[in-house]
Amino acid sequence: MYNIFSLIFKYIFIVIIYLFILSIIRLIYLDIRGIDTTSLDHSIYLKLINRKDTLPFKIQEYYTLKDITNLGRANNNEIIIKDPYVSKNHLKLVKDEGNYYLEDLNSANGTYVNGDRIMDVVKLKNGDRIRVGQVEFLYVNRE
Amino acid sequence: MFKKRINYKVPRNLLVLFELLALFLIFIYDKDNFDKYTFGSGIALIFMIYISSFILLRISTGDNYIFLIATMLISIGIIMIYRIDPALGMKQVIWIGMGIFLFFISYFIVKKIKGWKDWTLLYGGVSIALFVITLLFGTRTKGSLNWINIGRFRFQPTEIIKILLIFLIASYYTNYEKYKEKRFGSYYLIGIVYLFIGFLFVQKDLGTVLIFYSIFLALQFIYEEDRKLILYNVLFFLVSGVAGYFMFSHVRVRFETWINPWKYIDNKGYQITQSLFAIATGGFFGTGIGLGHPDFIPEVHTDFIFSAICEEMGIFTGIGVIMLFLILVYRGFKIAINQDDKFFKIVALGISILFGIQSFIILGGVLKMIPLTGITIPFVSYGGSSMLSSFIALGILQVASEDLDLGEEKYEQGT
Amino acid sequence: MNKELKRTLIVLAGMCILFVSLVVYISYFQVFKAEAIKNNSYNKRLWINEEKILRGSIIDRNGKILAYSEKSGDTYKRFYNYGNLYSHIIGYSYREYGKVGLELEYNNTLLNINEATPFHELKNIVIPNTEGNTLKLTIDHHLQEYSRNLLKGKKGAIVAMDPKTAEIYSMVSLPDFNLSNLKEEWNAIVEDENSPFLNRATSGLYAPGSTFKVLTAMGILEDPELNKQYECKGSTTIDGYTLEDYGGKAHGNVNLEEALVKSCNSYFADKGVLVGKNKLGEIADNFMINKKIPFDLPTAKSTFPYKESLGKTDIGAASIGQGKVLVTPLNMALIASSIANKGEVLQPILVKEAISPGGKVIKTNHTKKISEGVDIFAANEVKNMMVEVVRRGTGTNAGIKNIRVAGKTGTAENPSGKSHAWFIGFAPADDPQIAVAVVLEEDGTTGGKTAAPIARNIMIEALNTIK
Repeated sequence: MYNIFSLIFKYIFIVIIYLFILSIIRLIYLDIRGIDTTSLDHSIYLKLINRKDTLPFKIQEYYTLKDITNLGRANNNEIIIKDPYVSKNHLKLVKDEGNYYLEDLNSANGTYVNGDRIMDVVKLKNGDRIRVGQVEFLYVNRE
Repeated sequence: MFKKRINYKVPRNLLVLFELLALFLIFIYDKDNFDKYTFGSGIALIFMIYISSFILLRISTGDNYIFLIATMLISIGIIMIYRIDPALGMKQVIWIGMGIFLFFISYFIVKKIKGWKDWTLLYGGVSIALFVITLLFGTRTKGSLNWINIGRFRFQPTEIIKILLIFLIASYYTNYEKYKEKRFGSYYLIGIVYLFIGFLFVQKDLGTVLIFYSIFLALQFIYEEDRKLILYNVLFFLVSGVAGYFMFSHVRVRFETWINPWKYIDNKGYQITQSLFAIATGGFFGTGIGLGHPDFIPEVHTDFIFSAICEEMGIFTGIGVIMLFLILVYRGFKIAINQDDKFFKIVALGISILFGIQSFIILGGVLKMIPLTGITIPFVSYGGSSMLSSFIALGILQVASEDLDLGEEKYEQGT
Repeated sequence: MNKELKRTLIVLAGMCILFVSLVVYISYFQVFKAEAIKNNSYNKRLWINEEKILRGSIIDRNGKILAYSEKSGDTYKRFYNYGNLYSHIIGYSYREYGKVGLELEYNNTLLNINEATPFHELKNIVIPNTEGNTLKLTIDHHLQEYSRNLLKGKKGAIVAMDPKTAEIYSMVSLPDFNLSNLKEEWNAIVEDENSPFLNRATSGLYAPGSTFKVLTAMGILEDPELNKQYECKGSTTIDGYTLEDYGGKAHGNVNLEEALVKSCNSYFADKGVLVGKNKLGEIADNFMINKKIPFDLPTAKSTFPYKESLGKTDIGAASIGQGKVLVTPLNMALIASSIANKGEVLQPILVKEAISPGGKVIKTNHTKKISEGVDIFAANEVKNMMVEVVRRGTGTNAGIKNIRVAGKTGTAENPSGKSHAWFIGFAPADDPQIAVAVVLEEDGTTGGKTAAPIARNIMIEALNTIK
């Protein structure tokens, strides 16, 4: 009786060990694919606060900002985050006179700045923490 | 399918599944000896590993994988050890428990105490003291003089010295500028490392000689600015290796049994040929746990545990173990590259090389790919000292994976 | 990229190479080396599994038991009924000395061990395997004993077979050794300079001498341009080297048949050079020279290295079976069988069938063609010439009253000692029942004088006793 179990289990064990290795390699792979290749000479950017390798989707450590930057799950955004808790078109960052303003585009789960859900357009200042879905960014403005 | 959410929970759950199945299998394998106590410790171990990785995720902002990988290796090892000898298996459970405890202790100590990079002399002094104690009070097993008995407890000082060596090299290169100005400053390190290797040679602990030398050479290769020293190092090692071959019979024996163990199958080639029989008999999928005969191999629970794994769990599991070490080493290097603190960067490199080279030497040895030197596989083999020191090293690696002081500064700046 | 990072990556790459090489090595080990190591007789696992299984018996074609196992205490003991008689066929299976012969080649069948597939593993657990299969040989015990007695006291080999089915009736190689008291004699056997362990019938390589002329004759026959007439002067000189006829005797004006009947060296050497090494080589290849003969026991490869650059002298020497030509007795028996069997080369069979403990035949070795040989016309012409060889030529000692016997003698010069005496032949020529190859190693006599009578006796015995 034991022998039959042992025979079946040896195959199960091998499958589990390889699934384990595969899942770790996949996480590491996501990690490497997200490595920034652009150098960071901009003084205004978003920095990821989460440990990148805990997030199960592609994401960068840093995002530089254009005059108008859209963030969302859909592919037409400048910052694409495939997090299921992020709406297709989640928020918009607009530059005006050297400052950035954040506007939530009626997202399902909302946008939080320093822990508060925002209702209106908000002016961002250096060190603000922006949370969308599972992701949290640090807004850095060195100007 | 790949769209499916995969995160660190997947490998953790796979690990628990693996352990539960293994416990179930051991339960039917060893029905007669299997009492509440055994069952309780099995469950406790699984729970402890699960909780530890859970806690680690909360308290450490660092790497999530190295602990998981190490515990997977431990799970594969403990199944095999318990199957070979249930009594040893139970002891190993205790060692693992103490190891995980030490992992957290060393994690906190190394993280909280500052100034590790300045105590070069301390590391060197303690190491030499340990070597001298071993020579004076040590006992000889398997031809190597590397155990110290303290009451009922015995331990291998070299397991501690491995970590001290890494700290020593790291602190030396962190303060490289300072030492370089002194007279013969660049020769200090090479001198002390060769002193260590000399001690090991007297102890006839050839496996550890190789480990020390590899760590030293690799770190020297990365950080030494005086490149000709590296050349001297390699040359000196080759010359002393050849000299050792002719002068010491135990070096010669290792080499001869590597070239053709079949000639000495009845005596000095016995171990390695038994190991090859085990691996060959297992095939790709193994005979199944409990259905092979790993007990034919001497020292199967320590040095030759890999042969037993290959025999009963198959070459595929063997390759799995090799790959687990490979990703552990890879993570270690990744940690080192991302670390900004130079001391911990070098320490992370040293520990990764330690894990990598130690497992390579013994795995290659039992496969007869390289000459066999008796050392343990980190996390897999039975052995208290080895298990504890591996966990201490892992704890230090965990510290090194975090954004140290620099990260904190940024936070303060942010909020 | 800074220097430090670059060097770190180099070290990382080094570590990766180490681990990848481990994976490559272990896979290589498993695929190419594991099988041999697993079956090494020092592997205790083999014996643990095997000693739980009653090893199957080995019986001759008439069901006579040649080897069997019996329980003694907890394990099984192997008994060999006929000491020396089957040392090169059955071989032995001892824990101390390992396995050889059929005991090795058919180990898994004798133990009823199947390949390690998941299905078989499971089946083995549900119905544990306790008894192995019986091997039924094509050997005729009486003829085997008779053949060995004829060769007793000499060195050499005999292969006797059925030309139509290629079943081996008897196969003897001397010197041999006693299977039953191997333990006592082990050292003496190992040190014996006559190498009793060598199975001369399948692995002994000898110059075939004049018996090779039957192949050269086919080459001459198949060359329509070639003048078959020849004036023999007792010797011929090719490129400065002189090949002599036996005793320097001139045979005068001869055609192909006369040349074969009288075994005229000059004729075959000169005509062989004209036929050319490629044609001779092609015929040799067709008769399994330069090829591995598929067989139940390990065989050595007969050689005729015609693809190398050979001088005319070499070709001339090869045409009369000297020089670089080396053959095994089994190969020569196969050539005699093919000529008897319309020119077709069949695969020789030693193990007829494997029978399960329940009496069911689980495996049969069927007769099958392995090579074209030569076309039926050439085969028949050579056969008729070989009949004349026995009727009035060098092979008269192989003649049997009232039966047409075909044969060819050979006396092979041996650079390292006395000459080998050869005879190959079959009978009856019109409906061949038995084919024989006999070689007496370093006997110093002619094939016609010593080998031919042995062959005759075997043929008579086989025709009288084997149904």
